[in-house]
Amino acid sequence: MTCAEFENALPDFLDGGGGTDLRSHAASCDACSELVSSLQAIMTGAKTLQGAEEPSPRVWNSIESALRREGLIHEPRPARSWHLPSFSRRWGAWAWAVPVLGALLLAGLWLNNPRPAGDRVAAVPAQAVPVKATAPVKAVVAVSPDDQQMMQEVAVRAPMMTAIYQTNLARVNQYIQDAQAVVDANPTDDEAQRSLMEAYEQKSLLNEIALDRSLP
Amino acid sequence: MQSSQQAAKVTLVGLVVLAAVASAETKKELRFTLGPKATVAIVNQYGGISVKPSATGNMVVVTATLASDKVDVQSSQGPNRVDLASHLLAGATDVTGRVDYEVTVPVDTSVILQSATGPLHAEKLHGDIELEGVAAPVDVRDIWDSHVHIKTMNGPVTVTNVRDGHVEIDSVSGNITLNSVSGPEVRVSSTSGQIIYDGDFGYPGEYRLTSHSGNIEATFPQTTVAEIRAQSYQGKVQDDAHLQPKKHPNFSVAEGKSFVGTTLNTINQAAASVWLRTFSGRIHLKKRQ
Repeated sequence: MTCAEFENALPDFLDGGGGTDLRSHAASCDACSELVSSLQAIMTGAKTLQGAEEPSPRVWNSIESALRREGLIHEPRPARSWHLPSFSRRWGAWAWAVPVLGALLLAGLWLNNPRPAGDRVAAVPAQAVPVKATAPVKAVVAVSPDDQQMMQEVAVRAPMMTAIYQTNLARVNQYIQDAQAVVDANPTDDEAQRSLMEAYEQKSLLNEIALDRSLP
Repeated sequence: MQSSQQAAKVTLVGLVVLAAVASAETKKELRFTLGPKATVAIVNQYGGISVKPSATGNMVVVTATLASDKVDVQSSQGPNRVDLASHLLAGATDVTGRVDYEVTVPVDTSVILQSATGPLHAEKLHGDIELEGVAAPVDVRDIWDSHVHIKTMNGPVTVTNVRDGHVEIDSVSGNITLNSVSGPEVRVSSTSGQIIYDGDFGYPGEYRLTSHSGNIEATFPQTTVAEIRAQSYQGKVQDDAHLQPKKHPNFSVAEGKSFVGTTLNTINQAAASVWLRTFSGRIHLKKRQ
């Protein structure tokens, strides 16, 4: 059995089906075995999100529009691929699952990590939004485990770029913080929600560039 | 006197190094025959990629200039697709691992280009364009009827003369300049980079330029047909285009902070929808003279 045939039969295999030839291929092929492990980890992570509070339709709309902008779902067009070659090769037909899970995790984090009361901006009428003065970029340091992991990766692969990544990471974190403050002040403001999504997309972009194996 | 001698020595050493690198350069030419609407993807760690239309039908010609033997170019051809990648060998650096690609493709080819340092350049094509760089300067021009998708971390982006395009540009801190860019959807997003739009917001499409701290400047001619919303939470909105203020059901105006206006000739005409938004940057609307 080839890897391509195995990937085609992956849905059955992950559902617990598949014959001995699938199992023996998974046992003997490191690449396919790694793919199965990664997808199982994604499925496990996705199950934990099911218990979370159901997001509003606006969140799903925002995710859909983000995916549409990413080109992962789009109106019928001539055959094309927005995925980078290394990414497509690695994930094959399951390439869609990674950004979808990323978006779900972002949505989950967003919904399940309300900001401390001290960070909130008092509710004000829509459009008249006094946002906290933007702190100097250097005051917002990368402290989350994900940020630290990203910076460690950059330090290993592109040590000369560490300071630039650090500065940009601080800037996008500040962006998210400011956008979140506006959403907190105007929870029903669609544009504020969209702005927060855009801030997260900027961070996602930075992560994508920092962790892309094909770039130094 | 002593310092000038030292400067001369440094210059001499520099020239010797440059000569050594230049002498190690090799050129590699690759040719591929593809069908219509093919895809060419190039992943390059260090160095530029320039893609231009070919004069010869369905032929893709790639000229790769390799800085040294510390880097190699690998290629593979699939059904109507070519993949090229620079492969760094042990001990390669950003100097010795550099490859510069000059590529000619049929005009309807879709291109996917990736380089950390760039520059990345594509022109006169109408296939889809996807460019990604870290610090790479990106220059895209004379593109029509296609998707243009650009991502950089701090590389500056310049897009010129794009018609009927679905344009999406994301840069964390690189400045983004759009000249004569129009289409059903133009979306530009930045954290701290400056966004400059100079064009007519042609096509009754949706234009959305957003930043966190970067300034946004939009310059358009008298003939533009558009409804423009501009909002800066902490910065200022300056309207030197003298738009007609307009009431909007979901958008209230705050002096110097947010503004909705239309150009003079939107009655009975399909107008472009323009959204300019920044948190702490300044928004400046200007009329082209």
